[in-house]
Amino acid sequence: MGREVAESCVDTMLMEMVAMYSGRFYANKPELAARRIEAIGYQVGHQLSERYTMERPRFSDHLEAIKFICKDFWSEVFKKQIDNLKTNHRGTFVLQDNKFRWLSRVSIDPSSDKETEDPSTPGESKAAQAVSMYLYFPCGIIRGVLSNLGIPCAVSADISSLPTCSFVIRVKA
Amino acid sequence: MANTACFIIVGRNDIPIYEAEVGSAAKREDAAQLHQFILHAALDVVQDLAWTTSAMFLKSVDRFNDLVVSVYVTAGHTRLMLLHDSRNEDGIKSFFQEVHELYIKILLNPLYLPGSRITSTHFDTKVRALARKYL
Repeated sequence: MGREVAESCVDTMLMEMVAMYSGRFYANKPELAARRIEAIGYQVGHQLSERYTMERPRFSDHLEAIKFICKDFWSEVFKKQIDNLKTNHRGTFVLQDNKFRWLSRVSIDPSSDKETEDPSTPGESKAAQAVSMYLYFPCGIIRGVLSNLGIPCAVSADISSLPTCSFVIRVKA
Repeated sequence: MANTACFIIVGRNDIPIYEAEVGSAAKREDAAQLHQFILHAALDVVQDLAWTTSAMFLKSVDRFNDLVVSVYVTAGHTRLMLLHDSRNEDGIKSFFQEVHELYIKILLNPLYLPGSRITSTHFDTKVRALARKYL
């Protein structure tokens, strides 16, 4: 079960998936495209969780499962571990990756940023919106992994400072 | 070599997604139904036992006359349950591990809906071959 594929294939496929869903299938309906991409990520996470938990014993509590995602799962998928894990011990976890692999080649031109800033949404520029489309897939993967391990949750991503990326997991009690 | 053996895979929503009679004895109609009944009744015991340990192989959880139910639970809470009359624990553990690997391969199929019945004849053939080899 261990054949290898060039990483550029994965990158290109992800770019193409986002481009297809937001440009062709659900053009002008970014919320629907986002949900569809997240659902694909959910199925992938479901499959990957079974595959990567095969060798190890099962988890006794939520924190063990989250630590598995931060260490083993992230190393298998992104070849590095999560750099920072924060929790409020009440069901919210923040996973911070200081150089998120799938966003490492994204660059945002700051000059075009100022021109196209939408006055009705002062906090978010079009560039940030475009980048956030690429984060629905990893959010879906995390949600799929946790759901398969028995922890229903909602996952969102925060990219206030590229290339650092934070994933916020809220466990549904 | 087990004379009677019935193997089922139960998904996380408690719906059986695969069942097979893998013993080497001749099949009898009433015996097949009895075997399924015993396995389904053992699900409650498995449910309680699964939370007490973090191991995957739960050994034998229940018995009926001289038949023993052994269970293997995956991280996604899919239960592989085997009803048998043999005492070969190592063989059963190897059997479960190999079937787990086959199950992961089925899961990786993007056209397979997780939680639905496994209808692949390839999977069926391989499980029966593994049963002949390890049980």
